[in-house]
Amino acid sequence: MEDETREIARGLRRHDPDLLDELIARYQYRLPRYLWSLTGNREAAEDLFQETWIRVLEKGHLYDPRWRFEAWLFSIARNLAIDLLRRRQPESLEALLHPDDEGTAREWPDHQSASPFDAAAAGEEAERIRELLRRLPPDAREVLVLRFQEDMNLDEIAVVVRAPLSTVKSRLYRGLEALRHLVARTS
Amino acid sequence: MNSSIHERACHLIDARHVEGIAASEREWLEAHLAECEACQARARANELALQSLRQNTVRVDPALVSTTQARVRLRAQELRENQARMRTLWMACGLSWLLGAITAPLLWQAMSWLGRHFQLAPAVCITGFAIFWFAPATVVGGLIAWRRSRAAALQNW
Repeated sequence: MEDETREIARGLRRHDPDLLDELIARYQYRLPRYLWSLTGNREAAEDLFQETWIRVLEKGHLYDPRWRFEAWLFSIARNLAIDLLRRRQPESLEALLHPDDEGTAREWPDHQSASPFDAAAAGEEAERIRELLRRLPPDAREVLVLRFQEDMNLDEIAVVVRAPLSTVKSRLYRGLEALRHLVARTS
Repeated sequence: MNSSIHERACHLIDARHVEGIAASEREWLEAHLAECEACQARARANELALQSLRQNTVRVDPALVSTTQARVRLRAQELRENQARMRTLWMACGLSWLLGAITAPLLWQAMSWLGRHFQLAPAVCITGFAIFWFAPATVVGGLIAWRRSRAAALQNW
């Protein structure tokens, strides 16, 4: 893995177009999926996908090959998603990312439930799962996606979400419990 | 059943997914699950929940990859051209500094001669020399700053 990350770091410093093409193709599903988990919006996820790769190109010289490339890539994506959310809903950024003090989860604002994308999406099962994820607290949903879809380890997740390890674990346990209850209710 | 044992089992059922558990803990948990139906149900619920999560797919526009690649290539080309321009600019700056350093004694002598010829005060000659010496670097520095602010403004726009 270290050889591969070094190779990527070298290519990014050179702005190697072939490397970037390969990376874009490699993450064409995982990155939009993560961005969707943050924004809940397909169009926003696709816009952010493009912006993320432009930022990767411009800041490629900052990539540290000691870390897996995914962790750096997803942290860039996350920052861009937060900037977008902040521009669209400045008064509820904190509410979007953290549950309120009473501990009740806020509903993820879904402005796209009637989008053509959702209508064309594969199967009721896929929509059921997306609906389940929408009901999770955003901070818990994010770490669940990173841990169990992207297979990141806890240290990498802590880097991406910029939170202490203990906070990441806490969100994971809370998210897993919430997801377990949601799945049980809908099964 | 002892509630602390049950609590420990519940924690380990979650922990083995979240952060992993030691082999000894895994063995203990397997032995406990063989006897406790409630914990078995919790373990199954976890598996089902995670299986659902892993099945989450997101359809993307098929043109997204090609559009992104094209945009990134274009931007990479712009960055390379910009780097080449900046390299030329820095080389010009270096050459200018070198020539300035070489010609400084000649310039100083010229200023001294002018001062003697026009009977100017030494302070005027020194000031004239300093202005003439720093003028090119000041102009180039200003140009670079202007270019950068223009590039930043275009990017934001």
